[in-house]
Amino acid sequence: MYAFSREQNVVELGGVLFGGQPGQNPTVLFGTLFYGKQWASLGKGSLENAKSLVEAQDAVGDELGIPGIVDIYVKDEGMLKKEIDLVADSTEKPFSIDISASELRIKALQYLDEAGLLGRVIYNSINLGITEDEVLALKEHAPAAAILLAYNPKDTSVDGRIEILQTGAGMIALGEKNMGLMELSERVGVKNLIIDTGATPFGQQSAETLRAIPVMKNEFGLPVGCAIHNTLESWVWMKKNPGRGEIYGYCDSAVNALVPLMSGDFIVYGPIDSHEIVFPSIAFVDKLMAEGAADYFGAEIGENHPYKKLE
Amino acid sequence: MEHRLYPWGGKFDKGSAESSVAVVTLSDEISLPKDKVALFGAMKTENLGVEKVIANIVSNPIIRFVIVCGKEVRGHRSGDSIVNIYKNGVDENNRVVGAKSAIPYIENLPVDAVDRFRRQVELVDLVDVTDESRILMEIDKCLKQGKKPFGEPLYVEPLAKGTRKESVHTEIGLHAGIDLDLYGYVRSPECV
Repeated sequence: MYAFSREQNVVELGGVLFGGQPGQNPTVLFGTLFYGKQWASLGKGSLENAKSLVEAQDAVGDELGIPGIVDIYVKDEGMLKKEIDLVADSTEKPFSIDISASELRIKALQYLDEAGLLGRVIYNSINLGITEDEVLALKEHAPAAAILLAYNPKDTSVDGRIEILQTGAGMIALGEKNMGLMELSERVGVKNLIIDTGATPFGQQSAETLRAIPVMKNEFGLPVGCAIHNTLESWVWMKKNPGRGEIYGYCDSAVNALVPLMSGDFIVYGPIDSHEIVFPSIAFVDKLMAEGAADYFGAEIGENHPYKKLE
Repeated sequence: MEHRLYPWGGKFDKGSAESSVAVVTLSDEISLPKDKVALFGAMKTENLGVEKVIANIVSNPIIRFVIVCGKEVRGHRSGDSIVNIYKNGVDENNRVVGAKSAIPYIENLPVDAVDRFRRQVELVDLVDVTDESRILMEIDKCLKQGKKPFGEPLYVEPLAKGTRKESVHTEIGLHAGIDLDLYGYVRSPECV
C-alpha cells in the first residue's frame, strides 16, 4: 500500500466525501441514468423505473458503505426538468448532470438555479469544448462542484492530460488569454474541483487513463477518478462477442475495480443498471486499501467505510 | 482486403468489395444491402470516429461516395464534423474548420489522408435522414454514376501519440513526476 506525501484535499458535498489518501474514504460511484434508447421517452413507466434504480443504488450503497451518485444524462431539452426533478426527489444525495452539448448545459444551470438545487450539483463536466456563453452561465449559476475533464486530443499521455488542466494546450481561451481548465474553473468561481483523467479507448494510450490518477493526485492534491468503462466499451472483441451480456458484466465489475487500486477517488461506472455488479467489487478493493492504510500507515478509517461496516 | 493498416478499427459491416459506396449511419444502426454497399456502420465521435472512417476509406480507392445519414449524434455532432472536414478540411491546429462539435480535432491522421479523403470521395449529406428508402435511393444514384477507382490505396500509419514516454524507457518508475519511496510514500522527486 502507499500514501501521498502531498496533502490530499477532501471535497465534502451533502455528506459525501471525495478524495483523500488511498484507503481513507470509500470510492464514490457515479451511475449514469437516462443514457440509451430505453430512455427515448419518459412515460410513467420509465419514470417509475428510473426512480427504482435511484433507490436501488442508494440501498446497495448504504448497505456496503459506498456512496452512490446519480449522474443524470440529458440529451434533450424537453426532458431536462423531468429528469432533474425525478432524481432530486428520489434521493437526498448530491447528483451530477452529464450533458454533451454546451448550450444544453447552460439551460440545465439556469433550471437548477431556479429550482434551488445548485448546492447539490456536480457539473459533469468542464472540458475543452466550453464556450464563452457557458463560462458566463457558470459564473451566474455556480454549481457546488465540477468535474474537470482532462481529455487532450492532441496528446493523450499523462503529461498531455495534465497540460489541458494547466495550460489548455493552446485550445482553451477566455477572451484573449489562453488558460487551463484549472484556472478557468477558479475564475468562474466553482469552489470544489474534481478531476476526471479522461478515459481513452484502446489504441489511444488507454493505460494512461489509470496511470494519470496517482500522478494527478500528486500534482494537484485533488480528488481524481475516471470513467474507465468507456475503454471497455471500446473493445471491439467484446462488441463482437455473442455472449456479450453476461461476460460484459464480469469484465465491467473487474475493470471498475482497477480505479481504487490506482488510488482513484471516484468512478463514473456506466449505466446505473450495473450497480449490483459494480458496488461489491469496489467495496472489496476499498476494504483492502483501507486495511493497508490502517495497518501500514496507521490511518483512522470511518465507521461507515466498508472496512469497518462489512465483516 | 488484407493489410496491416486495414481496418483501422471501429465496428462496421463489410459488404460488396466492388461497391463504390460507404454509408455512415451516425447514431443509428441501419441494415443496408451488402450487395450494394462496401462498408456501413455507426460513427459516434467527432474526432476518433471521423479518423477511423477516413483511414478506412482512403485505403480502399474503389470507394468514391460516402453517404452520411442517420440521426445526428447528440452532443458529439459527429455528422457535422465529417461534413465539415469534407467541405473545409482542418486548420493548422488540426481542428475541423467550421465544425460545431465540442472536440473536433483530428490528431492521429496525417493531413495527406484528410486531403486524399476530400479528393477521393463525394460526400452526400443526409444527416438526420433515417428513412431507409431515401437512403437506398441515394445509394442507387451513386452506383449509377459508375465512378472508377481513385488510384492506389493509401494506407495510413497512425501518428505517434504523446510526447513524453520516458518512464517506459528509463529507470523511472510510474512517471518522471513521482517517486514511491522506501516507506510507501508517493512524492515528487525533488521532495526529499
